[in-house]
Amino acid sequence: MSQRAYSLTTLAMLAPSLIMAVLLLAIPLFIVVAYSFAGRDAYGAVVTGFSLDSYRELFQATYLPIFLNSLRLALASTAISVLLGYPIAYFIVFRAGRYATLLLALLLIPFWVDFMIRMSSWMVLLGRNGTLNGLLTGVGIVDEPIRMIGTYPAVLVGMLYAFLPTTVLPIYASLNSIDRRLIEAANDLGASPLEAFWRVTFPLSLPGVMAAILFVFVPAMGVYAIPVLLGGGKSIILGNLIVQLFLEFRNIPLGAAVSVVMLVLSSVVIIFYMRLLSRVEAARA
Amino acid sequence: MTRFRPSSLFVPVLTFAGYVFLFAPLVILVAYSFNSGRSTVVWTGFSLDWYAQVFSDRGLQASIKVSAIVASISALLSTVIGTSAALAVVKRKFPAKNLFSTVLIAPLVLPEIVLAVGLLVATVWSGVTLGYSTLVAGHTLVSAPFTFLIVRAAAAGLDPRLDEAAADLGANSRQIFMRVTLPLLAPAILSAVLLSLVISFDNFVMSTFVSGVGTTPLPIQIYAMLKTGLTPKINALGTILIGVNVLAILLVLGRYLKTVR
Repeated sequence: MSQRAYSLTTLAMLAPSLIMAVLLLAIPLFIVVAYSFAGRDAYGAVVTGFSLDSYRELFQATYLPIFLNSLRLALASTAISVLLGYPIAYFIVFRAGRYATLLLALLLIPFWVDFMIRMSSWMVLLGRNGTLNGLLTGVGIVDEPIRMIGTYPAVLVGMLYAFLPTTVLPIYASLNSIDRRLIEAANDLGASPLEAFWRVTFPLSLPGVMAAILFVFVPAMGVYAIPVLLGGGKSIILGNLIVQLFLEFRNIPLGAAVSVVMLVLSSVVIIFYMRLLSRVEAARA
Repeated sequence: MTRFRPSSLFVPVLTFAGYVFLFAPLVILVAYSFNSGRSTVVWTGFSLDWYAQVFSDRGLQASIKVSAIVASISALLSTVIGTSAALAVVKRKFPAKNLFSTVLIAPLVLPEIVLAVGLLVATVWSGVTLGYSTLVAGHTLVSAPFTFLIVRAAAAGLDPRLDEAAADLGANSRQIFMRVTLPLLAPAILSAVLLSLVISFDNFVMSTFVSGVGTTPLPIQIYAMLKTGLTPKINALGTILIGVNVLAILLVLGRYLKTVR
């Protein structure tokens, strides 16, 4: 094949994804950034130009609680998901033996089940006339049904349910690739099991833990259905704010500004992740 | 092996609790979808009424149709995009390869809600009407990184000597692709198609922003139903969807097991 024909074929292979990246990613994000600096006329239409009004409005005290709420919810969800996901991944890799594949396959079921259906199953469980309340009053632990839907713990449960499989899978992958002889060596050298875990297994699984944190934290910042369905819609977070600004208030510049802030926040997390990852990998080499 | 345990019961108990947590809601949802009454606490008898209601609900039918159309087209597009990009990255030399890969994976790590806002704003700006085209565009953008990663992993695992052997035997590049590369990648490509279908069927965040009047996909329809109140009809619908998902997983895993053997 001639050099020219080779280049043309390569270009043809790259073309579909390049067109997608430019048309659906680069241009739209550019417009979002541009609109975040635009103004609004009396009828709500976007007036192009450069102003910092949207950002000024955004950083007023009204919106500060929303940022803090989102950050708090995302951090809490990430922490709980990783704390529960790690032991599960550990069990599948080191303790499950021949059942490892089965446990892993089972994990894919709730991971693949429609998100809305997963949330509705928790509404069935936690509702005022739900299964859990039926159980609690039936056994006699409580006399009256407890209000669960509409509380912060209910939102956290929903978040954990949405993100637990997402944390187990990357941690599983990194634990599974550890050379078991390293752990045996630690044991042979007299390390207690806990010591071997802290000084060998855990550091080697860090890339998986970091990937898990990234894959929970970023989407958790943008979640909006869970607080509406399980939190009773009271705790407003960034996701709800964006939906409201765009679809209810039609305030495109302010909505764009919130989106840009979210984009910056998650980019910082991603860059931090990449830095940390390269440091972990450099330390290992 | 027993010596590796950080403690003897902590890990298995947590794992067990984790699996109960993951499956109890689904089991209860499936069980109460067969309940004859409206209650999700009191069992009043077996019935398939709620399933009959699912199948006679016009709104649901319409949204399932929308989701099916959008999922098929976007799965096809994202598989073509992901596969050709993956083959280019693995088998071809071109400048800025790493940058190209990063940009392709970007929709996976950037917040989906921001991508959705971007598409909505671009749609308004360009004067395109919200509907099938914007839904397909959004779902393709979300699933293409997955198809890219799946096919790239499979293509990277292929022995390059197979191509060379085919070339030595007189195959031209088109024949090598059609008769060596493609058949070897077929299981991965099929997984990519299935995963894209599921991602599209399940997509909520992107769909909220880019669906138009009369093109309400299933998750948005369910969300609207959930906001007005829970009925066992949703449980019945959920049971059907869980069944379809389990079937899809078995198909993917079955394929993988076959390739291992």
